[in-house]
Amino acid sequence: MPKIELKHITKKFNNTFTAVDDLSITIEDGDFITLLGPSGCGKTTTLRQIAGLETPTSGEILIDGKVMFSSEKLIDVAPSQRDVGFLFQNYALWPHMTVFQNIAFGLENLKWPKDKIDARVKELLKLLKIEEFPNRYPAELSGGQQQRVAIARTLATNPRILLMDEPLSNLDAKLRMEMRAELKRLHHETGATFVYVTHDQLEAMTLATKICLLDKGVLQQYAPPLMVYAHPANTFVADFVGSPSINLVDGMIKTVQGGTVSLDVDGFTATMEMGDGFKGVDIVPAKIGIRPEYISLSEEGVPARVISSLPSGMETIVHLEVRKGLPLTSVIFGQNDFAVGSTLHVTFPTDRCMLFDDKGNLVGLGKLTLR
Amino acid sequence: MKQFTYRVKRFFSKPYNIILSMMLVLLTFLTLVPLLSMVRDSFVVHAAETMRLKKPLDSFTLNHWFKVLFDANSINVFYRPFLNSLITSLGSCLVSLFFGGFFAWLVTRTNMRWKKLLSALFIFPYVMPSWTLALAWYNIFKNTVVGGVPGFFMAMTGIEPANWFSYGAFPIAVVTGLHYSPFAYIMIGGILRNMDANLEEAAMMLHASQGRIMRKITIPMVLPAILSTFLLVFSSAMSSFAVPQFLGLPVRYQVLTTQLYRTLNGVNKGQGYAIAMVMILLGVAILAFNQRLTGVRKNYTTVTGKSSNISLVNLRGARNLISVIVLVLVLMVSLVPLFSFALESLLLRPGDYSLSNLTLQFWIGTAQQNSIANSEPGMLRNPTMWRALWNSLRLSFICSLTAGTLGFLAGYAIVRGRGTKLATVVDNLAFFPYLMPSMAFSVIFLSMASTIVKPLYGTTLLLVLIGMVKYLPFASRSGINAMMQLSTQIEEAGEIIGVPWNKRMRKLVIPIQKASFISGYLLPFISCMRELSLFVLLVTPSNRVLTTLLFYYNEKGWDQYSNGINLMIVIIVLIINWIVNKATGASIDKGIGG
Repeated sequence: MPKIELKHITKKFNNTFTAVDDLSITIEDGDFITLLGPSGCGKTTTLRQIAGLETPTSGEILIDGKVMFSSEKLIDVAPSQRDVGFLFQNYALWPHMTVFQNIAFGLENLKWPKDKIDARVKELLKLLKIEEFPNRYPAELSGGQQQRVAIARTLATNPRILLMDEPLSNLDAKLRMEMRAELKRLHHETGATFVYVTHDQLEAMTLATKICLLDKGVLQQYAPPLMVYAHPANTFVADFVGSPSINLVDGMIKTVQGGTVSLDVDGFTATMEMGDGFKGVDIVPAKIGIRPEYISLSEEGVPARVISSLPSGMETIVHLEVRKGLPLTSVIFGQNDFAVGSTLHVTFPTDRCMLFDDKGNLVGLGKLTLR
Repeated sequence: MKQFTYRVKRFFSKPYNIILSMMLVLLTFLTLVPLLSMVRDSFVVHAAETMRLKKPLDSFTLNHWFKVLFDANSINVFYRPFLNSLITSLGSCLVSLFFGGFFAWLVTRTNMRWKKLLSALFIFPYVMPSWTLALAWYNIFKNTVVGGVPGFFMAMTGIEPANWFSYGAFPIAVVTGLHYSPFAYIMIGGILRNMDANLEEAAMMLHASQGRIMRKITIPMVLPAILSTFLLVFSSAMSSFAVPQFLGLPVRYQVLTTQLYRTLNGVNKGQGYAIAMVMILLGVAILAFNQRLTGVRKNYTTVTGKSSNISLVNLRGARNLISVIVLVLVLMVSLVPLFSFALESLLLRPGDYSLSNLTLQFWIGTAQQNSIANSEPGMLRNPTMWRALWNSLRLSFICSLTAGTLGFLAGYAIVRGRGTKLATVVDNLAFFPYLMPSMAFSVIFLSMASTIVKPLYGTTLLLVLIGMVKYLPFASRSGINAMMQLSTQIEEAGEIIGVPWNKRMRKLVIPIQKASFISGYLLPFISCMRELSLFVLLVTPSNRVLTTLLFYYNEKGWDQYSNGINLMIVIIVLIINWIVNKATGASIDKGIGG
């Protein structure tokens, strides 16, 4: 069963720009992995290297235990021999072929008999709910339909691994939601290993069994989505994942007594009661990470002025200012609206607030009190 | 009535409507009237024919058409030249598609060496006059079978090239094809470069072999470009005059254009007009077909994503070999002709390539020294030559100024008035001259000048008018393209704060699209500098231009002079293109046609 291993993969373009820097990850069979990161972080390059469309500068790639690429052993298996499917961002449907011809192309290359090709294409048309269009040309289809044809074409040859490069980015919001659900269904039905590139953290969160977050070619964190959300490895990850973004508050650590860290935050005293596994921290400038939904409104607590209030029905995003220069974003569930300029009181009831050290790395989680 | 005046006033309150109306009048007079005059001329009795046909002057006759199409001699007058034209044009298409297409593939899709240098050199023949390669071929592969001195190849090797190799269909097709192969390269290379590499990668992922990807994906994708190139090269080759004149004449190989020239210079103008009409019909049909084809091609544009990293085909061991072969081939069609012209212009006795036979006499010699060439002084001392150079520069300058300005105004007005009937009509009228073979177009003007507007006959003004109209499509196309890219809001933003029209033009529109507008002036200038077939029927000894002087010397067989003049034309064209390119980024190879 296919398992993908990347070992110390580095890719340099023109010997100057490093797109991927010493990346090592293992993708287990049946996983749905998203490669996530801002544009230019090397996620597409990584995907193309797995497919064999791009040659790494150094490192080793194994699929199903077999070496597909090795800079040391001078092995570079051709893309067509790696048994992977690739879904392109712009679908790359051949405009001069009909839907049927597009889907059948790969099977013809494998020299399938004609009747079996027919049967397989019909099966795929049905699976992707495009039975009505076998004889249309791609230009005559809507974006969503084109997308389905592209998926059908990729699935036709039954690849055990499906590589997808931002396949939903050209669709409108509603279709994107639909196709996400569709992809999860396909993942379940085909049982194949999916590797999925996206810059949309929401997409990564909702689809993946594991997220691989990259920045500037360097791996930041490789963990299940909720782990990434709750235990971000560093401030970059914490900031990149989650919408609205996490509140990162600057502070200076004053004292560390057992599991209690107290910090000076812009004239306030912040106390963090650290949870299990806290191994201590130096007396350094630090950051406290507070997810918007970790902030509660109550009768007591620190007073904060409402800067803006954005109700969407299910929840309301409130921008607050505890003091000039200390803004907080909070999400309040339910149907609420707040007058701009009014004063609210905030507390932090959760024990999941994050403490990051001066290098931005996560020190631990804890309960925050602000005085 | 009041409402009518109101509407007229409203109509002309828009600057583009004023321009469109003026263009309509001007273009009607300069394209439709001459065309109708020519149609008429093919049906009436001419002065020289009144005796033979026993009919009064200007009375109706079908004689010309009969002679051309149904007479016993029609085979020589029309059908054989027509067939020859078809053969050489088809051959040219094959040569240019193969050479240009293969080169485009090498440059865009493989790791061939020296790509930048090679593509710069490859475009070279396109910038040079169309007969450049023909003259070079003639210089190098001349044989002694049809009389005269041997060419460079025979002088060096002692091998006599066969007639079919030196003259006639084969060299005409090869040379024309090579001249237009940059065109194929630009069109096909453009598609290959812009074509989403993902399309090929997708096929690769689905286990397709390189050959199958080529057959099933790449070639079908560039097919519209190939067809387009085919039609454009075909129609250009059909209307090419200088090449068959240089390479066909020695063995009396006639094509439609040379036949047209013969007929019009000889006795029967009416027959010439009839032949010209056939050529025009054919040209219009081909290009109309092409327009429809490129319209269809729009369906081929798909969403393009990131395709920056095209994986190039590794030529491996063949890389150096292929690179060198291509370099040699490209040098043969770009630089070798120039050396050939220089060399030929230095030979005291043509055909003798020994060092002692080199002389500067034909460049700087006095009339007395040059007794061989009818006591013609050396080129740099020759008043005829200086006058022709001056005429050429002046004519090109005026043509480019008028065509460029009119084209810009037309482009502006057509885009702004888009959707109205008037704009569509003007758009088509302004593009009409492009559809017509140059020689046929000059025939139209000849007919007009000899019947409707007699005072124009033999004047420089006639040359200016025809040049202006013929090159208008170049300028109006770049004007239209420039205006299409420019949002109307840019001009409206000026309008709303009360900037008058002429200031909006000078301060907003023109500065923003400077490069496109300048190429609208450059294209007519260079085309005019290297134009032969448009002028050859219309010039008189007093307003002769460089190209027709070259043609005159060539007819006389004074090879040193024709080669020297040719070298000068090529160099002037290259220098001007280079200067304008450096100054503005515009270049002739970025425009259409040629």
